[in-house]
Amino acid sequence: MTGQPYEGRPQDMPVKAELPRLRVEYVKDSRLAFLGHLDLIATVERCIRRARLPFSIGNGFARRLRIQFTQALPVGASSSCEYFDLRLTEPIEAEEALERLRRATPPALAPSRAAYVPGRLPALEAWLDRSTWELEALAAPYDARDAERGVREVLERGELTYLRGEKEKRVDVAATLAGFEARDVEGGVAMTLDTRLSGCALRPQVLLDAVADVLGTGRPRALRVRRTAQAHEENGRLVEPFGPFDQTGGTPLS
Amino acid sequence: MRAKRENLFHLLEPLLPQVEHPARYLDHEWGSVQDQEGPFHLCMVYADVYEVGQPNLGVAILYNQVNEQEGMSCERCYLPWKDMAELMRGSGVPLLSLEGAAPLASFDAIGFTLAHELIATNVLEALDLAGIALTSAERDEDDPIILAGGPSAWNCEPLADVFDAVLLGDGEESIVEVCACIRDARAEGVPRAEVLRRLARVPGTYVPSLYEVRVDEGATRWGRAVPRAGEDVPQVVLKRCVNDFAATPPVAQRIVPYMGIVQDRLSLEVLRGCARGCRFCQAGMTYRPVRERPAEQVVSASVEGLLASGHNEISLTSLSTTDHSQCARILNDMNEALDGKGIRVSIPSQRLDSFGVEMAAAVAGGKRGGLTFAPEAGSQRLRDVINKNVSEEDLERAARNAFEGGWRRMKLYFMMGLPTETDEDVVGIARMAERVLEIGREVVGRGPKSGVSVSISVAVLVPKAYTAFQWAGQLHPDEVRRRQQLLLSEIRDRAIRVSYHDADVSLVEGALSKMGRAGFALVRRAWELGCSFDAWTSEFRFDLWCRAAEELGLDLADVACEEFPLSAALPWDHTSPGVSKGFLQREWLRAVEGVTTPDCTRESCVGCGVCPALHVRNVIQGVRS
Repeated sequence: MTGQPYEGRPQDMPVKAELPRLRVEYVKDSRLAFLGHLDLIATVERCIRRARLPFSIGNGFARRLRIQFTQALPVGASSSCEYFDLRLTEPIEAEEALERLRRATPPALAPSRAAYVPGRLPALEAWLDRSTWELEALAAPYDARDAERGVREVLERGELTYLRGEKEKRVDVAATLAGFEARDVEGGVAMTLDTRLSGCALRPQVLLDAVADVLGTGRPRALRVRRTAQAHEENGRLVEPFGPFDQTGGTPLS
Repeated sequence: MRAKRENLFHLLEPLLPQVEHPARYLDHEWGSVQDQEGPFHLCMVYADVYEVGQPNLGVAILYNQVNEQEGMSCERCYLPWKDMAELMRGSGVPLLSLEGAAPLASFDAIGFTLAHELIATNVLEALDLAGIALTSAERDEDDPIILAGGPSAWNCEPLADVFDAVLLGDGEESIVEVCACIRDARAEGVPRAEVLRRLARVPGTYVPSLYEVRVDEGATRWGRAVPRAGEDVPQVVLKRCVNDFAATPPVAQRIVPYMGIVQDRLSLEVLRGCARGCRFCQAGMTYRPVRERPAEQVVSASVEGLLASGHNEISLTSLSTTDHSQCARILNDMNEALDGKGIRVSIPSQRLDSFGVEMAAAVAGGKRGGLTFAPEAGSQRLRDVINKNVSEEDLERAARNAFEGGWRRMKLYFMMGLPTETDEDVVGIARMAERVLEIGREVVGRGPKSGVSVSISVAVLVPKAYTAFQWAGQLHPDEVRRRQQLLLSEIRDRAIRVSYHDADVSLVEGALSKMGRAGFALVRRAWELGCSFDAWTSEFRFDLWCRAAEELGLDLADVACEEFPLSAALPWDHTSPGVSKGFLQREWLRAVEGVTTPDCTRESCVGCGVCPALHVRNVIQGVRS
């Protein structure tokens, strides 16, 4: 075997952490809410290639783009705030990158913001550990007060189990439920849900199914789910996806 | 009655959360033609799910071709999976096109792509979901005109009752002519029967209802199709052929799917046709002559196509890509142009010689997955029978080069049930696999960590129309099983893995390939009993196919295994890919004697008849090696 032991890398090749890290915010709207996570990843990669950004390619067998995504959205959920981090081989103006991406992306996945972030931040998927969701239960057989009572009861039980395919999933509600509010609106109940990443994710649909079970009512005719914010929780503060990233920045948690 | 053209996506949307893979029904992909003004509307249907149908190059070519015409538009439609079909039926939603979400029954014309025989029940399923009568005879004046084309249109007789017209051969020109013919005839307000008569005058268009089946002396039990009394239609409908292939747009796939599809890459058709003359191969006869694109066009179109689509893989497709006279140059230039972009180039079939291995190395870069060869038969004698012009030495040299080139896993394709096959030939498959394994071990080493392995995949020959084997019967399933056992018992090394195609599936395919127009009763009954998605192993119901056959007084094995006399009029003799029947008869006789026939792109003309019949010729860019 040649190349053994470790030969070292050529000095002119930057390591991954030195490559410019462009963070892009984009939406997932209308019918593309039904796009699964893997299909979304492939689609975004193709948009990046079409935009002709100077993307960096990994050294693995599959020669993939160096890109990271946020926690998968449930299929059917829309979002105003999805993110990906892309490693570039050279820095280009963030605004220009955004404009090129816009032209190469279907409107339902339109990018809305782009900026460079520090290369050594942790992986996006683990780092963005807080999500805010707007839910709308259409023709719900319960009102806002019932919904809040139902959520309190689910919370008191501590743990929630549900079947995903044939697998039983256990969600620690106390650790993952960060906030819940409901209000009556025309045609149903509107809710704001805050979740925290901790082990198995708390899916809005799963929570509301459990609420319907504890209330002993049926389920709403339909549930619309939209992620409206993501953030990183650090030392009792929420850091926004685009920073500021120093220890003192961010919104204090009440 | 023609359904109203309207967007019904709002009826489909509430069903999306309830089905598997809702991405199948989303449309709005990058590159799809959303502006569908018409006023003439065609819908191309691939009667399988989105991820199977979307990669189809034929649909892509015709989609572009029609959408580029002033006043014509073309949408796509795929068959919903069973969960969605059930929900649609339950809530009264008809089959919709993708782009406009318009009911299929509202279109002027609908074009089915017949990719293989087993799509037959899905064609009926699609029409039924669309609320369109299954047969041409049952359709109303205003109903859409139902068209078909594609590789399996060669012997489309089992579905002849379904289609109003069938387009034979290359469709890029004829689809436009056919659409224009329908548009003009409709504008004049002529009756449906007259529209079909006019269609029969468009060259390459076969209108089944204008022919009747006559079972007489000289025909097989399935009869022959002859023009109906008083109909001015050709005795034999000759296919269409685009001679200036290089003038057609090289990149047909402009739609970039959202969901993962079965061939998730950009395809570029580098050449059309193959003249190697393998005697079992239908495509080798029906796509003649051979027409290559020039190397510069392939390379520049690949780069442009990849930039426009964002794909990270490109496949240079054809029946035999490594036969392209400029293959080495194309791959070399592509590697240069795409270096550092994280793009994979693939070629679908490997030529069984050193050049094939060289080309495989050229596309693999530094990577070595598995390498696939298709010797097809286990002995030189039988390879001569099928005209697979490779020798034992070719194979051994290719295997040695491949192992020396770093490959460890070798996959070999064979067929069972080839005419004149004996037990010796079957055992020869085992010996050949062992020989390849032995070469691997000589090159790489014998240790358990050498990783050398050989897998062999054995299909059953389904004799197809317009091949030299069209007169042959399929091997009886009992005998298939006995020979499979024989082969298994001859394989002693655990580094050789054997897999078989399902003999039952091949039997249904074989029966449908033989039957002629009478096959429709079988297809229809099988569909009524619940058969659909027959090409999916999980969905194929042999018991239902047998029951359907039994109800019609047929036995599938009896049908598939029947031999036809060489002089018989065949159920498909009234359509022609240009290859003469005399040539095929000669090929059959040479096969039985084990005499091979050369490739006319390398040696002289073999007299297949295509060039004079279609006024075309082979177009080879360089010199073939």
